[in-house]
Amino acid sequence: MDRRTTIKGLIVFVSLGISSFSFYKWTAFNAVADIRELPQKRVLLAELAEVIIPRTDTPGAKDAKVEEFIIKMIASCTDPKTQHNFLNGLSDLEAYTLKYYNREFKDCSLGEKTAILTYFEEKALYKVNLLNKINNKIFGLPFFVKLKLLTIEGYCTSQIGATQGLAYDYIPHIFSACIPLTKNQKSWATK
Amino acid sequence: MDLCKKGMKTLLLERGRDVKHVVDYPTANLNPWDFDYRLNHTMKEIQRSPLQSSHSNAGDALFYVDDSEHPYIENTPFSWIRGYQVGGRSLTWGRQCYRLSDLDFEANLKEGIAVDWPLRYRDISPWYDQVEQFIGVSGSYEKLAQLPDGQFLPAMELNCIESHLADSIRKHDQDRLLTIARVANLTKGWDSRGPCQNRNLCSRGCPFGGYFSSNSSTIPAAFQTGNLTLRPYSTVTEILYDEITQKAKGVRIMDTLTHESFEYYAKIIFVNASTIATAGLLLNSKSHRFPDGFGNDSGELGHNLMDHHSSAGASGLHDGFQDRYYKGRRPCGFLIPRFRNLRSEGLDYLRGYNIQGDGERQEWREKISNPGFGADFKKQLTTPGKWSIWMAGWGECLPYHENKVSLHPTEKDKWGQPLMAIDFSFRDNEEKMMKDIKETSGEMLSAAGFKEIDTFNYHKPGGATIHEMGTARMGRDPRTSVLNGFNQVHAVRNVFITDGSCMTSSACQNPSLTYMALTARACDFAVNELKKGNL
Repeated sequence: MDRRTTIKGLIVFVSLGISSFSFYKWTAFNAVADIRELPQKRVLLAELAEVIIPRTDTPGAKDAKVEEFIIKMIASCTDPKTQHNFLNGLSDLEAYTLKYYNREFKDCSLGEKTAILTYFEEKALYKVNLLNKINNKIFGLPFFVKLKLLTIEGYCTSQIGATQGLAYDYIPHIFSACIPLTKNQKSWATK
Repeated sequence: MDLCKKGMKTLLLERGRDVKHVVDYPTANLNPWDFDYRLNHTMKEIQRSPLQSSHSNAGDALFYVDDSEHPYIENTPFSWIRGYQVGGRSLTWGRQCYRLSDLDFEANLKEGIAVDWPLRYRDISPWYDQVEQFIGVSGSYEKLAQLPDGQFLPAMELNCIESHLADSIRKHDQDRLLTIARVANLTKGWDSRGPCQNRNLCSRGCPFGGYFSSNSSTIPAAFQTGNLTLRPYSTVTEILYDEITQKAKGVRIMDTLTHESFEYYAKIIFVNASTIATAGLLLNSKSHRFPDGFGNDSGELGHNLMDHHSSAGASGLHDGFQDRYYKGRRPCGFLIPRFRNLRSEGLDYLRGYNIQGDGERQEWREKISNPGFGADFKKQLTTPGKWSIWMAGWGECLPYHENKVSLHPTEKDKWGQPLMAIDFSFRDNEEKMMKDIKETSGEMLSAAGFKEIDTFNYHKPGGATIHEMGTARMGRDPRTSVLNGFNQVHAVRNVFITDGSCMTSSACQNPSLTYMALTARACDFAVNELKKGNL
């Protein structure tokens, strides 16, 4: 890294710390979510995942039970900082939804759900890739980034997702190096 | 296998568990959703094995060691990636098979570096033939002096984007070409194995025998002779030297389960514990004759450690060929054979590199960070994206005396064996080569119309290419080398070493095929010497 990039990195360090201060912390200081409570959020997670990968002409995240994958991954395969962000972010989203829509996420319309997730996606991302990398390294992955990554991976590696949402070739036998792509052909589920 | 086939009663000692072909590949036929965490490691697994887990996935982790059980000391950063089971890294290897040439065998002598190889291409060529014909290597004939053709099964095919890059490279430079990798995957049935089913899950062990591993090929063949005894859970702790006969009389092992010691005696011993462990075993085998380690009259044992660097390269995206795709998961990539320093080109570094890479269309893993969500997002997620190519240079590392492995004076593992300490760094020649690889890779992609080109240097530590070599090098002079031209320990002619530790220079070719050829040659020599009464 050259000096200018390092200095830029140092300057944004401070501002990142301030901007990742969440809405949740304003409204409720006390409860810090516990991993053991995550299975209870099963319904909410399923709803969130379904907005990200909905059922269309092929099954969606709920059909593929992506929420189970998300729960397992957060519990066993996620670093503590990202776990913390995820649980806080989930509570943050619940509080935000209640405050601005007066109902639980699962009872919102698709338009409202989309608006809520758009808000949280924009909050999680910076326009500059470098800032994302620094932020992720220091603070762990933001809630929405982790939610989306797990939803997509959970869907695409599930039986329903891989075999119906994508194309799963269990035993190809031969390798066909260069073939025509047919209309609406799906991409391969595995490499 | 060769010793067994030549009628020798052979004891194969392996420190880890047995892995029998097909029956001991529990993950080989699993779908992604059959794994508890799909293909991810848990945090516990990563904590227990932080280094190995960075090279493995849930499907093949069972063939990598537990870092916490097998610690070593990094005096400088070095990634020692291992599998301690019967078959070792032949289960998880990359299967690339390339011959060395006289450009490689003569380089040390011509450039006044290290010591001269005590053999030339014509000495090893018939053994490359024999090995390739036994294991089955698919590849294409290119008639290159610096990368000799072998005995090939039909080559695997390049996909559209790779063919496009190949055309572009040939058009821009007559001296370069892009071809398919040469791999020990079978493109037709061979020796009652295969053919490869193009699942690209090799490192889990292949129930079809589609690629070469000792487990699927040479060990069963050895058993068939009736001459093989296999003893797993046997870590060799010392080579036993007989001061009176001036020969090795056998080895002492420790049973890794019971911690009992046993001694086994033999007329000849082949030490193939892999580069670092072989050096460690010899260093630990001290006697009145060899106070500095077995066969270490030269003082070179443990020194001259090399690994290929594979950190520099380029990737890019291409807008074309949108109406094309592929079917099947080819278990290899492409190769751009070495084109540097074939003559004196006035470059600022010595030796050269192969470029290895592959082309594909972006699929869901590459799109996972795309913005947005919902029905449209799902549609583009599940549709093939742009074509891309990723490639990096696998480059030669010079032998430096100061790059070495040694025994820690006090620290021991749970079997009471001294821990290995490693001192290694890439130096000026390697750094300059990486700079060239990075720029040249980027240029080639740019000339072929790729966009969003990213040239990189990952600055990976030594060991990360998993081609560590050189710690018991071959040479003509016992004062400056450990082994002679037939891989015999100079001072103890009934001990042979044919794993990576024997390499006098690293070349840039993936080395396993050369280890196999040297092994076949040394076995033949050893048996003949025994018959003549010379051992």
